[in-house]
Amino acid sequence: MSIELKMAWRNIWRNPRRTLLTIAAIAFASMILVFMLSFQLGCYETMINTSVKISTGHLQVQAKGYLDDKKIRLVIKDPDQVAKVLDTVKGIDAYTFRASGFSLVSSNKRTYGVVVIGIDPIKEARVSTIKSLIRKGNYLKKDDEYTALIGEHLSNNLKVDINDELIILGQGRDGSIAAAVLTIKGIFDSGIDEFDRNVIMMGLKGFQETFSMGKSVHETIITADSLGDVARVKQEIKACFANAREDGYLAVPDWMEIMPGLLQGIQMDLVSGIIMYIILIIVVAFSIFNTFLMAVFERTREFGVMMAIGTSPLRMTKLVMFESICMTTVGIVLGIIVGSLVTLYFQNKGIYIAGTEDILKQYGIPDRLYPRLSLISASAGPLIVFMITFVSSVFPVLKLRKLKPVEAMTKG
Amino acid sequence: MRRTMLIVVILFFAVSSQVLAQMNAETIVKNAFDYWRGEASVSTSIMTIHRSDWERSMTIKTWTRGESDSLFVITKPAKDRGNGTLKTGNGMWMYNPKVNRVIKLPPSMMSQGWQGSDFSNNDLAKSDSLIKDYVHTLEGTKADQGKNIYLIKSMPKPDAPVIWGMIKLSIREDNILLSEAFFDEDFKAVKIMTAWDIRKTSDKLFPMKWKMQKSDAIDEYTQFVYEKIDFIKSLRKTIFTRANLKNSGL
Repeated sequence: MSIELKMAWRNIWRNPRRTLLTIAAIAFASMILVFMLSFQLGCYETMINTSVKISTGHLQVQAKGYLDDKKIRLVIKDPDQVAKVLDTVKGIDAYTFRASGFSLVSSNKRTYGVVVIGIDPIKEARVSTIKSLIRKGNYLKKDDEYTALIGEHLSNNLKVDINDELIILGQGRDGSIAAAVLTIKGIFDSGIDEFDRNVIMMGLKGFQETFSMGKSVHETIITADSLGDVARVKQEIKACFANAREDGYLAVPDWMEIMPGLLQGIQMDLVSGIIMYIILIIVVAFSIFNTFLMAVFERTREFGVMMAIGTSPLRMTKLVMFESICMTTVGIVLGIIVGSLVTLYFQNKGIYIAGTEDILKQYGIPDRLYPRLSLISASAGPLIVFMITFVSSVFPVLKLRKLKPVEAMTKG
Repeated sequence: MRRTMLIVVILFFAVSSQVLAQMNAETIVKNAFDYWRGEASVSTSIMTIHRSDWERSMTIKTWTRGESDSLFVITKPAKDRGNGTLKTGNGMWMYNPKVNRVIKLPPSMMSQGWQGSDFSNNDLAKSDSLIKDYVHTLEGTKADQGKNIYLIKSMPKPDAPVIWGMIKLSIREDNILLSEAFFDEDFKAVKIMTAWDIRKTSDKLFPMKWKMQKSDAIDEYTQFVYEKIDFIKSLRKTIFTRANLKNSGL
């Protein structure tokens, strides 16, 4: 350990109260930043996972162009082939196939234009939350083909209830007319109005038969083990398709491409979060700046003596800088440790906001929010605090270099 | 004083010529539509929907009567046989033999394509909207094979409940509609319908081929080829009922 570092360490403990206060300020700021950032990122993950689980999945496999224009002709011709590839990729939690088409749906009383989605009841339940959103009646069973699930708004609009019949009339994949009679088995309420008003679901096999789809489907919905795995899984699936060559017509969009609105919402929220953090950091920076400035003023005489006995200005600068670095480091390390512990505690227990459970449940969001500690959320905030404190300690040091030994010694 | 008079006179002529052009144009459009629809007609046509990677044809039998009644029934292919669409002054219904049910088309679906074609339900309905809701102006005439062709621009009347921002028509002097181009609110071309192969059929010249072409995709169009069209004086009203839609004798 260099002599400057040793001196710096001893110097900062000459006034323990001031030092402890400064360290506490730095530690507190770091802790808040670690926790807040983790909480924010955790909420985003919950939000994304919730939206993803209502319908879109983390990733999809679909024919190129289907994302922009949902034409019934753009199909995955051989879903079994896709299933084989997906079974080999690690990090996939579950996947399911869906087919969908625009159609008229009619009760005895009224007619609306809707999107009909053919689902595989067993696999679908593993990927999406639809099963838990059923408010009335039952979810589809394995062999249900011509039975339907219908959104609550749509059922009100059509004036139908469970066990009533619906007629769908649309256009099949080969351009022929697709028509079928469906029996309503369940009514769902996702909390997303557009979804509840415009979607009915039926058995995939029934859909394929009605819409002349053969074995083909439109979308493969994939959920990854965690949000962090999505990018890797996407790359792996793409690589597998590239190897299989014949599958060059397939695209693998992720949730950001499927729901650009959600990503934009998150980015906007993140910006407002960052503005808050900047304000917090500026407040901390000023208090630290003040501490350092005070310290230098108080010790003018001491610095004068040091200069008089031949300490070079460079060495003195180094000394003061080391003092500031020592304090900041201790503060930040403390802040990260305490912040991480607090975050980890709530990560396991969840944060319960009283009175919101009903609203949250409606949207399929669990009633507890979980912060999520990650390398980024634990280090980004403290790193910025470190840089800001370093900069704010530069100003007192510059002042120091202008001192004249004799004048300094006669002061205070 | 004299100058004011002159201005008044000029203005008068300018305005009156514009009004004349409008009235003229409106008569041309009205005559063309009356000619197109006839009193009543029975026809058989083949509709071909063409897309870049596939094509599909179906044979359709059509009955029309007056301004608002029409009935379309698919006769081929066998899979779709018996599917029908009925349009009367009150609305539009579709029938499918497989589910044996008649469905009323909601108004919101009128701008959707009919049976997946580029003709919308509105186009099919040949409603009076074009005559009622638009202001027509004669933009020019050109000669083609010894006949004059009127070029007419139709702009929607303010507050008229219309889909198109502008329609351009070309109508031959003997009332035959040759093309109808549809533009959106920004006057960007959306689709164009053209008619050709004009032949004499039941004492009347009529284009036997019709094509609706999307403006943004050259290889996407729908074509109607009339195999047979008979214009007749009248048809029984009972043809245009829901009962007959279900039981069109096919």
